[in-house]
Amino acid sequence: MEQRSIGLRQDLLRNDDSIIQNLNTAVLVVDLDGRIMSTNPPAEQILGESPAQLLGEPVARWLASSGEALVRSTLERGERFRAVESFLTLGDGARLPIGISWAPLMDADGQRYGAVATFQDLTGIKQLQNQVLQTEKLASIGQLAAGVAHEVNNPMGFIHANLFQMAEYVSDLRRVWEGVEALRKAAAQVDSEELRSVGAQLTALAEEADVDFVLSDLGKAIRESQEGSERIRHIVQDLRDFSHQDSGQRGMADVNQCVDSTASIVWPMMKHLVVLEKEYGEIPLVPGYAMQLKQVFMNLLVNAYQAIEERVGDTAETGTVRLTTRSDETGVFVTVEDTGTGIPEDRVSRIFDPFFTTKSVGNGTGLGLSTCYSIVQRHGGRIDVESTVGEGSTFQLWLPLEGSGDDD
Amino acid sequence: MTIELPRSGPAILVVDDEPRILSALQRSLRREGYQLFTSESVQEALVLLSSRSFDLVVSDHKMPGMSGIQFLEEVARLQPDVPRLLITGWTEEIPMEELRRVGACALITKPWDDARLKATLRRALGMEPVETPTEWSSAGSSSSSQESRLR
Ligand SMILES: Nc1ncnc2c1ncn2[C@@H]1O[C@H](COP(=O)(O)OP(=O)(O)O)[C@@H](O)[C@H]1O
Ligand SMILES: [Mg+2]
Repeated sequence: MEQRSIGLRQDLLRNDDSIIQNLNTAVLVVDLDGRIMSTNPPAEQILGESPAQLLGEPVARWLASSGEALVRSTLERGERFRAVESFLTLGDGARLPIGISWAPLMDADGQRYGAVATFQDLTGIKQLQNQVLQTEKLASIGQLAAGVAHEVNNPMGFIHANLFQMAEYVSDLRRVWEGVEALRKAAAQVDSEELRSVGAQLTALAEEADVDFVLSDLGKAIRESQEGSERIRHIVQDLRDFSHQDSGQRGMADVNQCVDSTASIVWPMMKHLVVLEKEYGEIPLVPGYAMQLKQVFMNLLVNAYQAIEERVGDTAETGTVRLTTRSDETGVFVTVEDTGTGIPEDRVSRIFDPFFTTKSVGNGTGLGLSTCYSIVQRHGGRIDVESTVGEGSTFQLWLPLEGSGDDD
Repeated sequence: MTIELPRSGPAILVVDDEPRILSALQRSLRREGYQLFTSESVQEALVLLSSRSFDLVVSDHKMPGMSGIQFLEEVARLQPDVPRLLITGWTEEIPMEELRRVGACALITKPWDDARLKATLRRALGMEPVETPTEWSSAGSSSSSQESRLR
């Protein structure tokens, strides 16, 4: 019985094998001990191993613990699994997301003699999913931001105006107080008991209330509050830009013009630290929102400037920002290159996240690059960064000539 | 609290659903010699408009019930000759054509810059020449990162 079953099994395997070898799907066949009995080229390619390295080896070597539990259930209890998401651990230690299905193998007597797996590399799909997630995340944060920006702006309006008015009032009162002081001093000289005592009372009151201090500190408190309100206003502006409620007119955008006009807006701010180099190619118009593209360039330029500012610190050095545009048959490329601090490798993956910032309070909200990301996304384009710490960063933008499907 | 305002001088009607914006504007304009009429509701403002004439009407854009643009359109019907200004959080929020259509002569952005606000009002009242070649100007905050020029 045992003898016959083994012979049959080998028979079956031989037959199955030619089918397996010709499948386009990655297949692994294991025996009851979980050792690999057969593989095919797609499987070998995903695993990055030759057949000789795979055959006879325990499949668990390549499976993450959750994946190992699956094959054990199939081998021990005949359970089937369809398209379960799991991981492969490759020879070099890398983890690869896969979708895997397991089914038991039975001989003619209904005896389990192993299991067969088909699996698929999910790397591409996972990346796509992440992109979709990122886009959705940005969209919902954008809605929230637009609402917040609108609500905050009204109180900002009157706080800003009132602080200005209060500052005016304080300087009026200070002038009046100077008059009172003069009067008080004069009263002390006058030969009138009554006047002198009122003057003395006033002196006592002024000392108790510390009027000189109060008046000057009131001015200081107002100035500091004005700074705070200015800061809030910038945050609100960033939030609103981020949500880009008013997306402007969709049309054909002259990218050179967008880059250049944005550069001239930020130039006054950075000229003391930055040499600006421009190299504009002859490029076609791209379908898109000029206003939004300007916002992208604005964010990239401000970041480049801030990175240079951070790098040079108090030294007399300057930095360079290089703007280039060019095109090929697919679209227009814009690069914003700086000689700033550069971005550490472990940070690169996070800089496009909303609210990710390494800047101090008041200098960054962490919304610039995520705004860029979502605008570029809207244009069906791409934004990438290359950076070396201590040398600088290059942000590259690609905007397709063919309009994206975005017609909302 | 009420802010004492002159009983003579150009009559300005300001409409904003946020009363604190109205009192802040009153503070800003206290010494400008205007008769300032304020209203927190469009309905109330329309009643006022049919009962007396004004030299200038200023309206917030985002209000419940009726937008500033719609309101100014009504104002144009009731008092076609009165100059009209719109207050808005962001200048880009309102399309240029819309402003033209209702004959608004300038925008005031929130938060506003005191000196520019005053100049904008004086210009709208014809008390100061228009310095820019365009008839469109704005009283935005000068430090605004996005210059509040009309596109
Ligand atoms: N050109 C650059 N050079 C170095 N670091 C940068 C550059 N651009 C962006 N970064 C990093 O990415 C972070 C996020 O940028 P961003 O989204 O524009 O927000 P923010 O500028 O408000 O911090 C920055 O805080 C900074 O750490
Ligand atoms: Mg930034």
